Amino acid sequence: MRRFWIDTDTASDDAVAILMALRWPDVHVEGISTVAGNVPLEMCSQNARYTVELCGKETPVYEGAAQPLLREPFWAYFFHGPDGMGGMNYPEPKLPAQETHAVDAMIEAFRKYPGEITLVTLGPLTNIALALGIAPDLSRKIEACYVMGGAANTVGNITPAAEYNIWVDPEAARQVYHAGLPLVQVGWELCRGEANLLEADLDYIDSLDTVYGHFTVDCNRQAIQTNREWLGDPALPLPDPVTMAVALDPGIVVRQSKHYVDVETDSELTRGMTVVDERGVTKQEPNVEVVWEIDVPAWKEILYQVLRA
Amino acid sequence: MARKILFDTDPGIDDAMAILAALRSPELEVVGLTTVFGNADVDTCALNGLRLVELEGHDHIPVSKGAGAPLFRRELDLGTEVHGLDGMGNTNPPPPRGRLDPRPAVQFILEMVRTYPGELTLVPLGPLTNIAMALQQDPEIASLVEEVVLMGGSAFGVGNISPVAEANIFHDAHAAEIVFRADWDVTMVGLDVTTKTIVQPEDLSRLYAGKNPATDLLERIQPCYQAFHDQVYGLNGAFHLHDPSVTAYLLKPELYTAIQAPVYVETTGLCFGKTIADVHRQWGARRAARILVEADSRAVIDLLIDRLIQ
Repeated sequence: MRRFWIDTDTASDDAVAILMALRWPDVHVEGISTVAGNVPLEMCSQNARYTVELCGKETPVYEGAAQPLLREPFWAYFFHGPDGMGGMNYPEPKLPAQETHAVDAMIEAFRKYPGEITLVTLGPLTNIALALGIAPDLSRKIEACYVMGGAANTVGNITPAAEYNIWVDPEAARQVYHAGLPLVQVGWELCRGEANLLEADLDYIDSLDTVYGHFTVDCNRQAIQTNREWLGDPALPLPDPVTMAVALDPGIVVRQSKHYVDVETDSELTRGMTVVDERGVTKQEPNVEVVWEIDVPAWKEILYQVLRA
Repeated sequence: MARKILFDTDPGIDDAMAILAALRSPELEVVGLTTVFGNADVDTCALNGLRLVELEGHDHIPVSKGAGAPLFRRELDLGTEVHGLDGMGNTNPPPPRGRLDPRPAVQFILEMVRTYPGELTLVPLGPLTNIAMALQQDPEIASLVEEVVLMGGSAFGVGNISPVAEANIFHDAHAAEIVFRADWDVTMVGLDVTTKTIVQPEDLSRLYAGKNPATDLLERIQPCYQAFHDQVYGLNGAFHLHDPSVTAYLLKPELYTAIQAPVYVETTGLCFGKTIADVHRQWGARRAARILVEADSRAVIDLLIDRLIQ
């Protein structure tokens, strides 16, 4: 079994990503840590625990940072709905949150299984920055860190220059990017266009008529509508599940390359932009594997595989 | 009637091809050249401007000298690595016959706009310092210029002078922001499209067979440009078609496709000089620029070669 750790600001697409990992045959999720992002921390925790219960698991859910390192929070209710789950108002889960703080839990887990745990981050990088700040040795103990975040030198979502997760806590992102851990960036641009779940894909998921299939579509209803109105993009982008699919099966990556990547933290205009030095003009040591292209049908098949049973 | 254009330029190897092709095109009437620092220092660029108009007997076209440094930044970093210390591929061209127009570039631009109200297209091929200063001095020109068609920026991809910034915009990002925020039609011919049009050595053989003063000059100066493109991009004698893409667009806009979006220019931090396209109108009501994104590259290259060898 491969060991995973998921750090998440659990709203609709995070929930689907968590579900994928929990139901993937050769993966064991050691823990889930929550972080303020799409919705406030307590709501993230509740949504994560509901998802764990839905999958019939008892994976421990730890609560982490309630706000970014330096910035004010910026909730994404407009995208994920008032409960972060498309307004589905799922019942309160019975599974309680763990007492231990997420950052402590993460440090303990990565030290317990050095070089064994794959970290997948689906939200702002606040918890990860804190963990690496307290325990710098973690940078050598994390097997790989897959980051849903950024847009490699291209158009963002929360601003024209930046993707939401990095924009919300750019200082945390900058620390994590420079911490020396093996980092793979799965940017917003990989989750748009063809990679969206199109009408036909959604119909197919519906036709599966499974608990997990209905959950995937239901909790993302608000996102489908907002995406259409806000970014003029049809259907449903699922950035967190795309990232999870890459972590579950890196073989779906068609093209990736390692570059020096930095994060803008000074300017408001380009706040949170992930600046990828594709041509090596900065002469800095490459620090991030940037994914440029994925096999879109393969990513969707990974999702369907999880939703079928 | 020929379209009136004013080149604001820092010649520059690719500026030379852009300008020579325009001078040989009856659809375009070049009313003047204003010069600016960029590919080389402004004195060098101004003399090269004269050389270019004189090369095939266009001595009547005025050439004026403009800004030697960006609006606010102190450090001056020039493109001499790409274009040679003389901006002409280190070929030490002979001194020009004529003299520069006595009017400074900003004054010359303002006078030309007023002389041809509603008719003049400004065509900046270098840093936007002169254009920004003209706008600051006389904001009314925004409504009097037909269009601005500029080479610069990178909206949806990588830069060339920094990871995210293109050189012309980077060399005076503040000036670029002034130009993009003004209420006028701007067409941005940036790296999004210019790096997709790649001139191959076979194209150059066809070009140099023209054996006229224009193609002979290009044959002398372009090896320096090829060497740079080979060293940095491994292009093996080929090169990206930057400034000449602007001339091709002026002649045949139908060879290009564009996206309409307001453009903002970063003037601080890591992304200094980055052009940001507000595709989803998240930042307000700034007038959209026309950002070229795709080209019929074969037709573009053939068009320019035809003009230059005819």
